[in-house]
Amino acid sequence: MMRNDPIKHVFIWPAVLVVLAISIFPLIYSFTTSFLSYRLIPPIPPRVVWLGNYATLLQEPRFWNAILTTTLIAFIAVGLQYVIGFGVALALNARVPGERLFRVALLLPMLLAPVAVALVARMIFNPTMGPLNQFLSMFGLANLPFLTNGHWALGCIIAVEIWQWTPFVILMMLAGLQTLPEDVYEAAELENASAWQQFWGITFPMMLPISAAVVFIRLIESYKIMDTVFVMTGGGPGVDTETLTLFAYQEGFKKFNLGYTSALSFLFLIAITIIGVTYLALLRPHLEKRR
Amino acid sequence: MLRRTFLMLTTSLAVACSASLANAACSPDYSGVTLTVASQTGPYIASALKLGADEWTKKTCGKVNVVEFPWSELYPKIVTSLTASDATFDLVSFAPAWLPDFVPYLSEMPKAMQSGKDWDDVEPAYRERLMVWEGKIYSQSMDGDVHTYTYRSDLFSDPKEKDAFKAKYGYDLAPPKTWKQYLDIAEFFQRPDKGLWGTAEAFRRGGQQFWFFFSHAAAYTNNPNYPGAMFFDPETMDAQINNPGWVKGLEEYIRASKLGPPNALNFSFGEVNAAVAGGQVAESIGWGDTGVIAADPKQSKISGKVGSAVLPGSDEIWNAKTKKWDKFPAVLPAPFMAFGGWQVAVPKVGKNQQAAWDFVKTLTSPEVSGQAAITGGTGVNPYRKSHTANLELWNKIFSPQEAKEYLGAQADSINGKNVALDMRLPGYFSYTEVVEIELGKALAGQTTPQAALDTVAKEWNRLTDEFGRAKQLAAYRAAMGLPPKN
Repeated sequence: MMRNDPIKHVFIWPAVLVVLAISIFPLIYSFTTSFLSYRLIPPIPPRVVWLGNYATLLQEPRFWNAILTTTLIAFIAVGLQYVIGFGVALALNARVPGERLFRVALLLPMLLAPVAVALVARMIFNPTMGPLNQFLSMFGLANLPFLTNGHWALGCIIAVEIWQWTPFVILMMLAGLQTLPEDVYEAAELENASAWQQFWGITFPMMLPISAAVVFIRLIESYKIMDTVFVMTGGGPGVDTETLTLFAYQEGFKKFNLGYTSALSFLFLIAITIIGVTYLALLRPHLEKRR
Repeated sequence: MLRRTFLMLTTSLAVACSASLANAACSPDYSGVTLTVASQTGPYIASALKLGADEWTKKTCGKVNVVEFPWSELYPKIVTSLTASDATFDLVSFAPAWLPDFVPYLSEMPKAMQSGKDWDDVEPAYRERLMVWEGKIYSQSMDGDVHTYTYRSDLFSDPKEKDAFKAKYGYDLAPPKTWKQYLDIAEFFQRPDKGLWGTAEAFRRGGQQFWFFFSHAAAYTNNPNYPGAMFFDPETMDAQINNPGWVKGLEEYIRASKLGPPNALNFSFGEVNAAVAGGQVAESIGWGDTGVIAADPKQSKISGKVGSAVLPGSDEIWNAKTKKWDKFPAVLPAPFMAFGGWQVAVPKVGKNQQAAWDFVKTLTSPEVSGQAAITGGTGVNPYRKSHTANLELWNKIFSPQEAKEYLGAQADSINGKNVALDMRLPGYFSYTEVVEIELGKALAGQTTPQAALDTVAKEWNRLTDEFGRAKQLAAYRAAMGLPPKN
């Protein structure tokens, strides 16, 4: 087949059209909708407001609160997931007794549906019937307002996120650790390097590329958190734990305010892009040093 | 050849006869028809629909498929299906508050169903008000909902408790007539060291919270001198939710949250029922389910000790027109028809509309609905006169005294002179969402009751302008049973 053979169009165009239909068109439609005042309930005919939805959102304290809440959850949860996950991966890599059992057991949380995990967590944190408060009361401690105080509720959500997604970090980091060359460590031992020196001098730098990827994936995923918050607190008390996706859900699927929700989704996309680009820009010098 | 033809003819005749005999049992015959009904996740309501479905299948040979969605997903699912004009559901079950949003997509109830003995048996509050939209009937109530008061009769009849209460508050311990008395009782029984708390109400965002707040506020804002002005001024559509009556209601609702079990702020109605049935609280307010669950020995520790009454009221009610408190000679109860009970309707695009309305008829018949009302877990509360009149039916689950009080509270509330209707407006969720958020802040002490309600009123007025003030005013007046404004 020649390069200019027209038959190539027969193969290319169906694929292009499928991509356009299922990916690009909805994106363009959503982008266009973001410039409209468009409500499905009560039915109001669409009206062009240009950047009106964006301007309203940027002046909306609830939007900024949702950004702050999501950022807090994402950064604290991912930070701790990384530290704990790396630590556990190192332990498993050191071939501790029963390592295989630990490996399977530690991966289980990741395999559960977030909704199920959130439901279980809601029961555990239940103020009166939950085992956690019952346990605390055995020591004469007062019941803690786990899900009814904003700070506590945020802490509980972060704890659940860490519990569920640290296994992902363990899995990835363990895979990375198992590819590290052993001769480097043998050489380091000949030089009498301590375990601490070996970690900071060999393991951590060599694991940096995979660490960067793991943290990046988890950060993006954490920004999309919805089910856990929805089930555990519904965004409350007030809007103290309302994340961006939950805010978008409330506007889109409760109030059917489609134009406003589209604008919100695009602002969300911009925020994620800025965070992603900044993260990669900050890491680039360190990653390039390793090449 | 002749013999073969004869044999074939005989066989065909026999088959035809047996088929017609089978069909004779199906009246009307809907064999081959399968109706799909959208419902919230069971057991509440979904099990009642299944109960009706079994009866309908026996009668008509048709089948009913109940598709369940979590409460929070039901409205989006129905709206998406209706606005897309797809025939996914032959019937939808929903809250009366959503009716204004659904009306453009629903078929009208057949005229034949709008008369007769069964029709007249439906309580007027439903038949003439909640099932009506702009003079037409688009839905049928399958559940009655009004908030009532539940209390532990063993505590209230204990001579020691009675004496101690009178000594402390100066009046007799009895079901409260006012909200002040309600809070006094809650305070009196607040004994955490003994595992007993004052009251239980829903305070959780997304946990039916705002209906409990509305029940408090109804006593101070549902003024018979200016009917229909509880939520909005029916002349101007200006939000009333930040007037002094509402503020008083919120202050008392917040006070009630501090007289409940630890972290009552996380209670939805399910937890309220658990607290009442667990004997943890002396009193509570809520839907009729509370009384039924609390009376059930399988689910309750206080079975046989359940008292019921109409919600407390007030002798001072805010007048939204004169902007003053109106004083009444006696306490006026304002039972609040919170939620208003589940309804069923048939979408216009449904392919089996006749069969669907026939199913509605069976589901809501006095016999089937009466059975559902006394079955714990169906979520069906009385909405027919026959439901509350038939004491024998209720003796299966209540003691005679319990039944008398429970049915009396239900009937007196629904037929109360100053019964307060729930808000029904296009864009209902947009209005209630801001209430939930601000209630959460006020309950957590992050803002004052007045500031919280000022924020709600501002948002309500903005939404009304966005949706079209004239249109919303017309809808609100229709929902409150007021004539159209010229």
